[in-house]
Amino acid sequence: MRTVTAYDGRVLARIIHLAHRFGCTYTSVAAKHTGAVYRMELAFAGPGDALRRLDAQITKLLDDDRETME
Amino acid sequence: MRTGAAIVLDTLESLGVETVFGYPGGAIMPLYDALYDHRIAHVLVRHEAAAVFAASGFARSTGRPGVCIATSGPGATNLITGIVDAMMDNVPLVALTGQVRTTVMGTDAFQEVDVAAITHQVTKRNIVVRSIDEIEVALRAAFALATSSRPGPVLVDLPTDVLRAVETTARISEPPVLRERPRADAGALDAAVAALQQAQRPVLIVGGGTRWSGATEVFRSLAARIGAPVAATLHGLGCSDPDDPAFLGMLGMHGWKRANRAVAQADVLFALGMRFDDRVTGDPATFAANAHTIVHADIDAAEFDKVKHAHVKLHGDLRETLVALDRRLARVTLPSFDAWREAACAPHERLPRDDARDGHLSATDFLDALFDALPEDAIVTTDVGQHQMWAAQRVRASHPQHFLTSGGLGSMGFGLPAAIGAQIAHPGRTVVAIVGDGGFQMSMAELATLRRYALPVKIVLIDNRNLGMVRQWQELFYNARYSATALPDNPEFTTIARAFGIEARLVDHAEAIGPSLARLLRTPRPVLLHCACYPHENVWPIIPAGKGVDDLMETVPA
Repeated sequence: MRTVTAYDGRVLARIIHLAHRFGCTYTSVAAKHTGAVYRMELAFAGPGDALRRLDAQITKLLDDDRETME
Repeated sequence: MRTGAAIVLDTLESLGVETVFGYPGGAIMPLYDALYDHRIAHVLVRHEAAAVFAASGFARSTGRPGVCIATSGPGATNLITGIVDAMMDNVPLVALTGQVRTTVMGTDAFQEVDVAAITHQVTKRNIVVRSIDEIEVALRAAFALATSSRPGPVLVDLPTDVLRAVETTARISEPPVLRERPRADAGALDAAVAALQQAQRPVLIVGGGTRWSGATEVFRSLAARIGAPVAATLHGLGCSDPDDPAFLGMLGMHGWKRANRAVAQADVLFALGMRFDDRVTGDPATFAANAHTIVHADIDAAEFDKVKHAHVKLHGDLRETLVALDRRLARVTLPSFDAWREAACAPHERLPRDDARDGHLSATDFLDALFDALPEDAIVTTDVGQHQMWAAQRVRASHPQHFLTSGGLGSMGFGLPAAIGAQIAHPGRTVVAIVGDGGFQMSMAELATLRRYALPVKIVLIDNRNLGMVRQWQELFYNARYSATALPDNPEFTTIARAFGIEARLVDHAEAIGPSLARLLRTPRPVLLHCACYPHENVWPIIPAGKGVDDLMETVPA
């Protein structure tokens, strides 16, 4: 389970698309809008290498999401 | 008090934008109305796809963001390929799209499309502006994000009622605050230096990250200090001086044999601003298989270990990383790599080629002569296919902003509009668009743009009456079953060019290469040179997809 926050709630959709692109599936997704950000709890299943690459891409997406917003 | 459209243009101007590329339509009309008497110049193209590629050519040749404009619906969707292209090649680009009124969004209104949803996966960010108060903040964020960290495209969607709205109070927004860029870890830098100190056969691979971080000069200084052979990816061409005896040329599928061989033999590999693209690595398992240490430097941490495991990871802006590395190297003694470099660089190696038959013009003969004749600061764009790889093998770019090509996405139709953008950015320079007969037919309506703005782009049309690269693969890997690749019914290209008011000439035999090139390069107007070439010339060498250097082919198997 990975807990992340994003300013743009659509990031969640992007992450899910990426997961499918990498051959992973999400086993659990929960999101809540609190204040200025979305707080998301994500869990994925898939091949280890794909999960590692997905994790790196999620970090990158969240970095871009934070850029100019903080 | 200004309209939203005026705020858009004033903000663009304050961000340094002088020229935008676009195509008008219904929802974006308020912006075009404001453009009518604004200082920002607008270049009208003949298809939105050309607007985004022209903006890309502008950005690739300057390092500054390119700006393109399209209306809602089909105008916006016609930008998509160019946006993805910019995402793949890290091009700073800001796309402005018209949108239906905010009050009808979501009702399937005329020319409504959710371009934000469509481009969400292929932009660094997209922003739907829902009020006039958001315009300036959105644009400033778009420009900051397009150029920050790993550059890329940002789309700003502008509903027509927002563009028509009138501000009630003048606003001055603060510049967006960017986060501090990552800096390569000191321990990793020390490890990189230690790897070089213990190396016997190091190789440097320079990639497109060098271009975007402005690290070309620093890279050259560092490479000279190390003294190792240097190979370039497609987007790394121009980072090394083409006359540097340590330069191996392009590596990868159609790279020089010496470049691929050196990487295969390397015991230490420095991968600088490159992403181990499959056209570079072929089979990742066998790529650089003898390297006990791979040092990977990149601004994007997601590139580390994505394709190839790196033993040392230098995460940070490439220019800053190379400066830090150079400082450390100045304090240590490296072993001499002279013998290894001289052996690896094989200065007498020649590219294998097919002989043109039946008196036909050889495309590679022509391109050899072209690159010999071009001035040092010429900007060359290409389309995608065989001519692109022939050009990449031969180009003598003295700077990465001199060779513009669609690498990651491989978008046919890129070459001519990209040349338009480059020529607008550099009005005094020689700009040459090398295109194939397939790709040119995807963008030849832009001859009208050349004519309208009197842009002296020189179009070199390598016409082999085939979709040549696909034909080559069919010959090599699909039992010569030539499915849908022959173009015997190509139009008369010189006639078409003349119909647009563009000078055009035909060259179809070897003896005419010199005179036709001389005339091409001294023509101060847009001009097309139609090179009618031998149809079965292949690009050699080739490492088949997913294979390694041991599988390199230099001719059609008997």
